[in-house]
Amino acid sequence: MIVWKEMARAKVRFGLLIGAIALLVFLILFQQALRDGLITSFTGAIEHQTAPVLVYSTDGRRNLQSSSITPELAAQVRAVDGAAAVGRIGQSTLSVRAGGSITAAAVIGYERRDLGAPQDLVAGRYPAAEGEGVANETDASEGFGLGKVVRIAPGGYPIRIVGQSRDTNLQASPTVFVRYGSWEQAVLAANPDARKPLPNALGLRPAAGVSPDELVARVNRLNPELEALTRHDAATKAPGVAQVSRSFLVIFLLYGLVVPLVIGLFFLIVTLQKARTLTLLRAIGARSRTLVWALIVQVLVVVGLGIAIGTLLYLPVSFLRVGSIPLQFDTTAVVGWGLGILALGVASSWFSARRVLRIEPAEALSGGGLGA
Amino acid sequence: MTKDGAPALRMDSVRKVYPTGDEEVVALDHATLTIDHEEIVALVGPSGSGKTTLCSIAGGILSPTAGTVVVAGADITGYSARRLTDFRREHVGFVFQTVNLVPFLTARENLLVVDEIGRRTGAPARKRADQLLEELGLAGRGRHLPATLSGGQRQRVAIGRALMNDPDLVLFDEPTSALDTQLGEQVMELIRDEMNSRGIAAVVVTHDERMTHYADRTVHITDGVLEGSPPR
Repeated sequence: MIVWKEMARAKVRFGLLIGAIALLVFLILFQQALRDGLITSFTGAIEHQTAPVLVYSTDGRRNLQSSSITPELAAQVRAVDGAAAVGRIGQSTLSVRAGGSITAAAVIGYERRDLGAPQDLVAGRYPAAEGEGVANETDASEGFGLGKVVRIAPGGYPIRIVGQSRDTNLQASPTVFVRYGSWEQAVLAANPDARKPLPNALGLRPAAGVSPDELVARVNRLNPELEALTRHDAATKAPGVAQVSRSFLVIFLLYGLVVPLVIGLFFLIVTLQKARTLTLLRAIGARSRTLVWALIVQVLVVVGLGIAIGTLLYLPVSFLRVGSIPLQFDTTAVVGWGLGILALGVASSWFSARRVLRIEPAEALSGGGLGA
Repeated sequence: MTKDGAPALRMDSVRKVYPTGDEEVVALDHATLTIDHEEIVALVGPSGSGKTTLCSIAGGILSPTAGTVVVAGADITGYSARRLTDFRREHVGFVFQTVNLVPFLTARENLLVVDEIGRRTGAPARKRADQLLEELGLAGRGRHLPATLSGGQRQRVAIGRALMNDPDLVLFDEPTSALDTQLGEQVMELIRDEMNSRGIAAVVVTHDERMTHYADRTVHITDGVLEGSPPR
């Protein structure tokens, strides 16, 4: 009763704290979505393609477009023990006419659907012939919708979008997955004087009983000019991703300091302000444990409401795009941050709890102690 | 004698010593006092005489350094802090001088708080709170916050709260010091009537000799020594 009555009769005070926590939760979730969206838009095509292992040339520095696999290197990889299948992967950023305007798009060609194509489609089908492609669903508004034909400019090589995938962008650009031959033709269409392009990477599937990590280790022992990475490592170790993650980590660590400080200071101030009331309750027989529990219940209620309101604020925003970066409502992030903030809130009330535990019931009497 | 025949309070040669650096301050020096059932005792003494210390020990708020304290037949001398807390909640009523009511609870809720910090009887507690408020002339003030009550009404609410647990002993710490003479008289009269009608023993700490005639007996304390205490 005491907990609820106090909150009900100090609505402004507790409402302000709930509002502050809601704002912090909203900012955290928004920035988490921004980070995830940013990383996905840069490397989603790698993270969500089908090849468990990717092999780059070392001088490509884990950048798909910068990597180039010569026939000699490809032959070495094809001969490696433990690889069940090897497929070429090519990627170029080309000017594409789509939806009435020209835009830079990443075109990715795969030799085998199980080594380099999007893992899943949300609509349509995989390319069955040259000149067909799969585009990311969020690029539909830029002319890459299902059934649309985009053309490489210059050259005019047409690609009909026959399927849509999710979270498969590369370099924050519209991204189209095509068969390997289509990619070669697109590159040659854009630059007719060029030689037939070399694959940028190789996709590998481990043989039965060989893990992706083992296969990576075997390829990396072959030749220092080759660098094999698991699919996940290829995405997370791509140039710039680590820097983005680190930058956001610093921001999140700051929140990790601000959230408990705000909650802890608020409840410490409240506890100090009602010290006389707490002393009275102790004097008439309230156990310290009862008062500390009441404090924790208040913290949980206030922080819980803050998280709920912050999440509600984040919900509509999570369906928006920030520039070319699509945001997503991430339930895991909401639950994770929610639990984390609740834990931080309870932990931050430690100072208040300590103050409650130190209350001397004798202080309720006039003079309160020595010789009075 | 209390309901089970024991005195409401029996203190035998109680000492309370506070260490202050290398020295010790004797706040209560071999105090011996017995209060019978239904007896109201006024404890009078100047500031710093030890009356609040005596009151705190009698109510189980402080533990004595030496001596024996028996409240309603229960020897609380060796009780742990936690057991003393439970004892206070179940057997003693308190009316304090300054900090008396929870400011964000209504008059009725201030009475019910005794139930909430205890075993939580629910409906019987609510019935008792309403009954006490009515008996104390506060039936129409149950929903009022302390800030909207007069000084006398607040003291009455505090008395009601002190009676909520059906105590064996009620301790009043300077209950009239914040009131004018007329209101002080009214409150003392109320205390006397309520205690007498319920057969509850009470100790009223005061420095105002004018209020002592409401008590059955007046005990003076000076420098931690009770008048009439047997010599050491």
